[in-house]
Amino acid sequence: MSEQAQAAAPPSGLGASFDFIPERRRRSGRLLVAAASLGLAGAIVFQFLHATGRIPYGFSNWQPLIYVYIAWGVALGAGQVLMRGEDGHRALFVLPAVLFTLALVVFPTLFGFYIAMSDWNLSSLTGQKFNGLDNFWQALADPFYRNALANMVLYVLAVLVEYVVAFALALLLNAQIRARKFFRVVFLLPLMLSPVAVSWMVGKSLMENRYGPIASFARWLGWDNPAFFTSPWIAKLSIMAMDAWTFIPFMMIMLLAGLQAMPRDVVEAAKVDGATPWQGFWQVTFPLMLPVSVTAIVLRIIFKLKLADIIITVTLGGPGGATDSVSSFIYREYRDRSNVGYGTMLAMIYLVLIVVFVTLLLKLAKRFVRSVT
Amino acid sequence: MKVAIYNQLVRAGATRREVLRGAASVAALAATSGMGLGALTRSAAAQADLRAQILQIPGVGKGSPTDADWQKVGELCLAGTKSNVQQGEFAGVELTFMGLNNQNLHNFLFRGFLKPWEAYTGAKINWIDLAQADYNARLQQSIATGTVDFDVIEMGAPFEGDVCGKGLASEMPDWVKQLIDMDDYVTYLKEPVGTWDGKTYRISIDGDCHTFAYRKDYYENAEFAAAWKDGGGEGEWAPPKTWAQVQAHSKFLKGKKDPLTGLDAHGFLDPLKGWGGFGFYFLEDRAAPYAKHPDDKAWLFDADTMKPRVNNPAFVKAIQDVMDIMDTQPADQINADPGTTAFQQFLAGTGGMLTWWGDVGSMARTSDTSVVGDVVGFSILPGADEVYNSKTGAWDKTFNEAPNMAYIGWGVYVMSRVDSDEKRKKAAWSAAAHLGGKDLSLWMAAYPSGFQPYRNSHFDYAEWEQAGYDRAYIEDYLGSNADSYNHPNAAIEPRIPGIFQYYSVAEDELAKIYAGQYKSVQEGADAIAAAWEKITDQIGRDNQVKLYKASLGM
Repeated sequence: MSEQAQAAAPPSGLGASFDFIPERRRRSGRLLVAAASLGLAGAIVFQFLHATGRIPYGFSNWQPLIYVYIAWGVALGAGQVLMRGEDGHRALFVLPAVLFTLALVVFPTLFGFYIAMSDWNLSSLTGQKFNGLDNFWQALADPFYRNALANMVLYVLAVLVEYVVAFALALLLNAQIRARKFFRVVFLLPLMLSPVAVSWMVGKSLMENRYGPIASFARWLGWDNPAFFTSPWIAKLSIMAMDAWTFIPFMMIMLLAGLQAMPRDVVEAAKVDGATPWQGFWQVTFPLMLPVSVTAIVLRIIFKLKLADIIITVTLGGPGGATDSVSSFIYREYRDRSNVGYGTMLAMIYLVLIVVFVTLLLKLAKRFVRSVT
Repeated sequence: MKVAIYNQLVRAGATRREVLRGAASVAALAATSGMGLGALTRSAAAQADLRAQILQIPGVGKGSPTDADWQKVGELCLAGTKSNVQQGEFAGVELTFMGLNNQNLHNFLFRGFLKPWEAYTGAKINWIDLAQADYNARLQQSIATGTVDFDVIEMGAPFEGDVCGKGLASEMPDWVKQLIDMDDYVTYLKEPVGTWDGKTYRISIDGDCHTFAYRKDYYENAEFAAAWKDGGGEGEWAPPKTWAQVQAHSKFLKGKKDPLTGLDAHGFLDPLKGWGGFGFYFLEDRAAPYAKHPDDKAWLFDADTMKPRVNNPAFVKAIQDVMDIMDTQPADQINADPGTTAFQQFLAGTGGMLTWWGDVGSMARTSDTSVVGDVVGFSILPGADEVYNSKTGAWDKTFNEAPNMAYIGWGVYVMSRVDSDEKRKKAAWSAAAHLGGKDLSLWMAAYPSGFQPYRNSHFDYAEWEQAGYDRAYIEDYLGSNADSYNHPNAAIEPRIPGIFQYYSVAEDELAKIYAGQYKSVQEGADAIAAAWEKITDQIGRDNQVKLYKASLGM
């Protein structure tokens, strides 16, 4: 590189350029951003004062603030170009996405925390009242919520069983069996069904106590009065079975893709070295499949943590809360009781728990994969 | 009328020929009375003529009414509007109407009925159609966020606390009261229902109550009767009149075979699973005769303090009654909601007794999946041999009935946002009065509309018979409703804000009680009461007290 070229190269980092930007242009850019920011802040303060009844003038709702925000975003982008030239242009590629995320993810989440810290029952004449951490303490002491969280632990543990079944099915469908393609499609069908449809077809029809085929079969096997949702443990297992039936194909298809992508020469080398199928599976296939397995399990756990539809449709959390999930309990608290503040707090606590749990899970999984492979 | 009921009536023998015969007889009757009674009765005769005429649109058994029929009926029933509105008087006025679109009825009918009204008055109506499942949330959000974007609303009475109690509804002008003949309403729909603090807000277009359905074949069964007598059963083997008898009959039927299906016989079917708050009505059915004292308008809360009565001896007894016959019920009863007990159990031949809204009566004979059509009988809800007196804290040994007016029924309300503009206000009330008019209501009671009869004039069986309906079925179907509606000690829904929150949380606790998670029923009932106190405090106790009293007309 010539000296001249070296002088023109960015001093550090990537993307910085050496556009010459006159100070006047920079200043107008700064002015534009400052004015727009001031406008946005002013509009927020103005509307806040109006909404809290301190000034008589203002918008009838907060909607105009969205337009002010968009205008601020445009001014911010223009300001970047004015102040930073080529770098500003580059920033324009990212800025809309950042502002979009800010508006639709970050702000609603923060606003959600704010709502969670308020006493807000839609039937209350006084409307929303800030109550700090009252909802949090109430949630900790709420037997229904604690029961739902405990149930979630069991539901999540059931994922391991689902994984074993899914892996077995994936191995089966990866083997040279007749009508393999047909079976792959058939095994995927439950995943294509809506959980609500599954609830009606399986939970409320096939498992119906008097006429349901599964109940009749159970009766034939010698179970006097087969009721799948009456005793707490059988009800839990029934819900787990229905949910597993719907989602095992999801894990199975991921594992099948992993098996098909696995290098065949390694498996064949193991065979040549005299490994039995059992050894081949545990020493070669399983370790090689671990990254896919971890992904499948983590995604399935995330799905599982949202379990609600089957429960709401079939048991409504019963008998006596035995099958309640956090989501189905929040659904009742929020929809049936219009308890917006408390319902949001329950959801926020759950969100934090999920984030912490999934982060730990990923870390542990990473460590586990590294130690095995 | 509910669609299913209409279908049943058509199937019950209202053939085309009978319909025409009915039409002719109604016309003849109307003509005769018109001629015979002279000028003074001409107006009444004209009304009778009109009622007979609209009952022939499209004619019982001639297929489902269409938009053209609704418009025709709306046009014929415009006399009330024309009596106090000049043609084109509301030109330029636009109103927004929010209502349901269930079964393509409700708003669909209203559109047709109001089209001639729009043409005559010059007003225009914009429509917000909502599915039942979206309705509560949409209304609650509108109320809570102060974004009432409608002028007229179809609404259930339980929401009156939320709407009227917050001053969101417009008070009914006197001319509307006269126009819709409110004196014709069945007793329970008269004050205090539809009123707040002495002001009237509601135009009723529907009625609701729970009635008692039982299997006649159980009580006509000689083997059962003999076994009952041999077993020392108290009294005759006959349909129960009290909950104590329901309990005894349910225990007696355990282990017997159903005479119709040959499967296990069961007694009363309790829905033990929640139903979005609606399940609590079914515990109320049992508790009301114990808890609703004839001398006390309040029965769910103490009127002065909003202290819940759900854990008083009356409710505890009702819950205990449920627990006492749980072992007589089908195996998975703990997972049966009211929908299951009615449509998958009782109508399918499982269970001997049930409480429900009018749908069961109609579906019993119309639904393809029903097997009990010919063996079902109806009465008002069972009573009790004693009633708890909350004021004295003692049981009064006297027979007591308290039919449960569960949900009360739909009404049309005008929102207060029209009050600032007299023209809009008159237009909104005129539209609402048109929908709640006496003659139009007869058509809605007689044809598929989604609404039940709710006026005394709807129980004129001769009018139905003359129009071509089967008298026996009409009497059976309407009789139990009429007896409940006009009962002097009817248990009326407390129309306070958030009433379904109370019901919903009670369902959660009841599920725990039924699952045996509390040491005693009393402990479980106390948990419901504690949860209710929390809701009352959250919504605002002073205001709830005020509104509860207002809803009871105290």
